Amino acid sequence: MSGDHIHPEPTTFLRKHVFSFDHKVIAKQFLWFGMLWLLIGGVMAMMIRWQLANPGQPVPVLGALLFPRTGGVIDPASYNMLFTMHGTIMIFLGLTPVLIGCFGNWCIPLMIGARDMIFPTLNMLSFWTVFLGGMVGLWSMFVPLGASEAGWTGYPTLSTTVGTQGTGETLWAVAVFLIGASSIMGGINYITTIIRLRAPGMGWMDMPLTVWGLFFTAVLNVLFLPVIGSAMLLLIMDRVFGTAFYVPASLLTGGSGGDPILYQHLFWIFGHPEVYILILPAWGIVADLLSFFARKPAFGYKVTVGAMFAVTVLSAVVYGHHMFTTGLSAMLGESFMLLTMIISVPGEILFFNWLHTLWKGSLRLTTPMLFAMGVIFVFGLGGLTGLYLATISTDIFLHDTYFVVGHFHLTMAASALFGAFGATYFFFPKMFGRMLDERLGKLHFWTTIIPLTVVFSTMFVSGYSGMPRRYYDHTSADYLKPLQHLNVLTSVAAFVLGASQLIFAWNFVRSRWWGKKAVDNPWEIGTLDWSMPTPVPHYNFKEIPVVHTGPHEFSHPALKGRDWIPQTEKLPA
Amino acid sequence: MSRDQSHPRARRALAALSLLPLLAAGVAAQEAAVVERYGPGPAASTFGEPFQYLFWLITTLVSVSFAIVLVLLLVPVLRDRARPGHKASYDHGRSLHDKRFTAVVSVIVFVVLDAWVLVVAMADLRDGYWKIPPPDAPGVLKVEVLAQQWAWNFRTPGVDGEFGTADDVLSTNQLTVPEGRPVSLNLTSKDVIHALFLPDMRLKRDANPGAVNVAWFEATRAGEFDILCAELCGYAHYQMHGKLHVLDQGAYDAWEQEASRLAVAAFDTEDTEAHWAWAWQE
Repeated sequence: MSGDHIHPEPTTFLRKHVFSFDHKVIAKQFLWFGMLWLLIGGVMAMMIRWQLANPGQPVPVLGALLFPRTGGVIDPASYNMLFTMHGTIMIFLGLTPVLIGCFGNWCIPLMIGARDMIFPTLNMLSFWTVFLGGMVGLWSMFVPLGASEAGWTGYPTLSTTVGTQGTGETLWAVAVFLIGASSIMGGINYITTIIRLRAPGMGWMDMPLTVWGLFFTAVLNVLFLPVIGSAMLLLIMDRVFGTAFYVPASLLTGGSGGDPILYQHLFWIFGHPEVYILILPAWGIVADLLSFFARKPAFGYKVTVGAMFAVTVLSAVVYGHHMFTTGLSAMLGESFMLLTMIISVPGEILFFNWLHTLWKGSLRLTTPMLFAMGVIFVFGLGGLTGLYLATISTDIFLHDTYFVVGHFHLTMAASALFGAFGATYFFFPKMFGRMLDERLGKLHFWTTIIPLTVVFSTMFVSGYSGMPRRYYDHTSADYLKPLQHLNVLTSVAAFVLGASQLIFAWNFVRSRWWGKKAVDNPWEIGTLDWSMPTPVPHYNFKEIPVVHTGPHEFSHPALKGRDWIPQTEKLPA
Repeated sequence: MSRDQSHPRARRALAALSLLPLLAAGVAAQEAAVVERYGPGPAASTFGEPFQYLFWLITTLVSVSFAIVLVLLLVPVLRDRARPGHKASYDHGRSLHDKRFTAVVSVIVFVVLDAWVLVVAMADLRDGYWKIPPPDAPGVLKVEVLAQQWAWNFRTPGVDGEFGTADDVLSTNQLTVPEGRPVSLNLTSKDVIHALFLPDMRLKRDANPGAVNVAWFEATRAGEFDILCAELCGYAHYQMHGKLHVLDQGAYDAWEQEASRLAVAAFDTEDTEAHWAWAWQE
């Protein structure tokens, strides 16, 4: 059924590289777009860490350019803009396009044996909508009074005109709305493609786990992005048309007023699933990579899928744990505490299945494999520290401190990024026809995971010592002055971490044009995407393949001369 | 021997990994020497002890769990590396044995990591944060907290124990409370959301505009402690500090007498700005 929706190969440059219908081209557009924003968001993180290590000192190199009025010193307003835009950019314009936009587009049709996404026009629109959102976000940083400074969470009434006057905040809300719309388009497309366009013989339980991860993410996107879209629309109305959805009567000169807590509910109904929107594709990729490079079938495939499904469902009912100090009733608080803790059960099942996949394997420690195992380490550290924050009586002290910053960076940021790095090193040969340099890749891995662990572990200590987040200058409080030394350590590690990403950038650019030519199946994998010639032809599959085998059939005892089997071949008897 | 080929690399990996804890220990020792205060400092309220107990309980459980994960990750890395003649086991992990293993581990994780912590935490909450004393109970000091960009306004009822009278004690960024008596807080905000953070009391509660939030604590020792804002509230969020003065009962009574006397002397019926007492929430 999947051969009918093909579109002709484009002939003009505009149709081929700019307004392309081809999922492979769109995937690369998402990749370049996302990497560019990750770079911008990363530079912002460096500036935040500079200010925390050297409060009130001029930023070297970039300072004179970005903060000319203060002689290169970050002022409190600019600092607030920096962490607001760092969060917004990394989540919405960096990780989402790379993990979901790029690898969703690349993996889904190729791995399930389809010629393209089921809605190629919607796919193109999805990219250009996020592009527009990115441009609005960029614009918001150059308007009078500057970018949004209400935090990436944008809590009213700080984010309404009560707290911020400039158009930057309004444009921020417009950008988030547009990016959300793009994710919904992508989500609908992914779900429909996976349901409708699987090659003959490919049952639900024959799909690579990457596709499962992307499928659950797409479901969450379609369900919960509309909620953030609504929250943003109401915020825009409050700011532009003078409504009062989020402004209480006590702050108005007349009228009945609204409720700022309403926004927190809407935001976190979206915001908590968003964590899993980013991590589920990474989990899927990791589960596949561990099996591929351990040369061993994925341990407990169906249980892994079930656990990911359970996490998807639970992610929708735990959002209240972000609001333990807001004023939730005791009963509501305890219910959210219990539900949040239950997530550790499917989480633990995933971990044991991954570790079991490695056990008695034949491990090839390539760069993608290192990053996949890195996710186990980083997510283990981040996920387990979630227990402190799920527990109300410890969260009351740790809420809004650096403990939380360390926790969510390890889980949703570092783990998702590690998944994205693993996927980039893994799919690069098929995408660009060349290999990324393995030596540089391994150097990149070690110079990333070691400083990264230092950065976020020290944040646990400063958070446990009571250092609130979003503080321009913590040395303003005597109470926090003793933590200065620790902040310097965190920042130095952060600068090493930032610098080591240049190794990746150099490796990427050099290998893209001058790297070693890749063979068709350099990793010796049986999934459909590696069965194609490189570069992948416009229609992917000349004939839609027929699938006979699961994606992880490695090291079958009857296989001779190789330890893998294409999904299109039958397993030997 | 084919095994020998993997040895140098495995050894190097092992050496690199064993350096990590060494490095961490070195950094920690260095830090401990320089940093005067690790952790939240000695607690000064009844919430302190249960918090500390639960924090270390979770730390122990989490550390053991993480150690298990690390061992299960490192063993295959060192033992099961690809080498000529070595083949991975062809195991899908879907035997009855594997399913039982998954079920047993899930139950253990739920009971040990979740249920244990949950039971302790619920008991703590019922005895602690959620046991907000009724404002009319004897010995309870009622405090109204009105946050604004960027200051804390406090109001205590003064010697007569009634809000909205001339002897109400108003102060900015300074709160004085007695030791060993429950302090019941009603919080709201004039503009944006703030959060009252009393690190030494192990207490944090949001001050939302348009609604009154409730919290309480009981100080266990006299002294001067910090008040911070923990919810981003704009430009000078980082400077929204105050001081909490905890006095023993005798000193507090003397202070309250004097403060109420000064309040009555300075009371101006025309100054409506000073009358921000609200309907008390229970």
